[in-house]
Amino acid sequence: MARYFFDSSVRDELIKDDEGIECDGIEEACREGMDGLRDLALEFFKDPDGQQLAIYVRDEAGERLLSLSITLQGS
Amino acid sequence: MAQVPSSNILIRKLQTISELAEPDIAILGNARIEEKQYQANADILRDGDQPTLSFVVLDGMIGSTKMTGDGKRQITSFFVPGDIPDLHGLHLSVMDCTFTALMPSRVGFMRHDALRSICDQHPSITTVFWRSTLVDAAIYREWVTNVGRRDAYTRMAHILCELIVRLRAVGRIEDHVARLPITQAALGDALGLSTVHVNRVLQDLRRDGLISTVGSHFHATDWSGLVRAGDFDGMYLHQRAADVLRQ
Repeated sequence: MARYFFDSSVRDELIKDDEGIECDGIEEACREGMDGLRDLALEFFKDPDGQQLAIYVRDEAGERLLSLSITLQGS
Repeated sequence: MAQVPSSNILIRKLQTISELAEPDIAILGNARIEEKQYQANADILRDGDQPTLSFVVLDGMIGSTKMTGDGKRQITSFFVPGDIPDLHGLHLSVMDCTFTALMPSRVGFMRHDALRSICDQHPSITTVFWRSTLVDAAIYREWVTNVGRRDAYTRMAHILCELIVRLRAVGRIEDHVARLPITQAALGDALGLSTVHVNRVLQDLRRDGLISTVGSHFHATDWSGLVRAGDFDGMYLHQRAADVLRQ
């Protein structure tokens, strides 16, 4: 198990995760990140302004391991 | 040091939702309660069990939980000190959910035959117990609404308001600071949210000045703001001191 950190970005505003989640490898971290991106997208469906929503997964050393993103287009 | 009887917190909780006459307080005060300590994540009762006891929460917090076929957990309600999460077990012999300690917790077991005998002899206590299970059902209704229809931010604010009001009512917290050493994963299971999003929403609430957290202490720094953000009206808790909800 290792601790992964999930920063989220909406309209270029990054919210850093300083708590992290224990995951059993990068695949589980990716699943957690995707679940987080789904919840984030749900919040912004009412305002689909073409902005990109993203979750960036870091390891404890601060290295970015994954970039997960989705764009909500309203037109 | 004098030992505080474990029935005290039970009586206090029942008094938050009903008037208890002196003789009933004495009967409940003499009820035999066997205490047991549980670690976080330990199951107290499991789906399918046929218990001969019911338990009152003395310290900590218990969750009623259900699992989906593919192994996802939903926490369907929280239970705080004074609550009797499985009082319905007196009448529904097979447990249809699991009760899990969400933090280190102490509970007190009461035998069903003893509870039945109290209820047979004291109809006013039966009424109070009935009311207690009805309030539990009202809380479940609110949770279905919360998880099914409110957005993540409102959901989180709502559950924090509920916990603070319930813990205050039984004197476990003062002001608006609650020690809640529950994991973000457990909060996610209670709110139907991913752990990643629970973390983000808590940060949003902090950024908006509604809560501050130090370790596992949650402080509602702007109570009326949190109540508004959580779409929270504590009427469904059916507490006698309705002013508690608006302080």
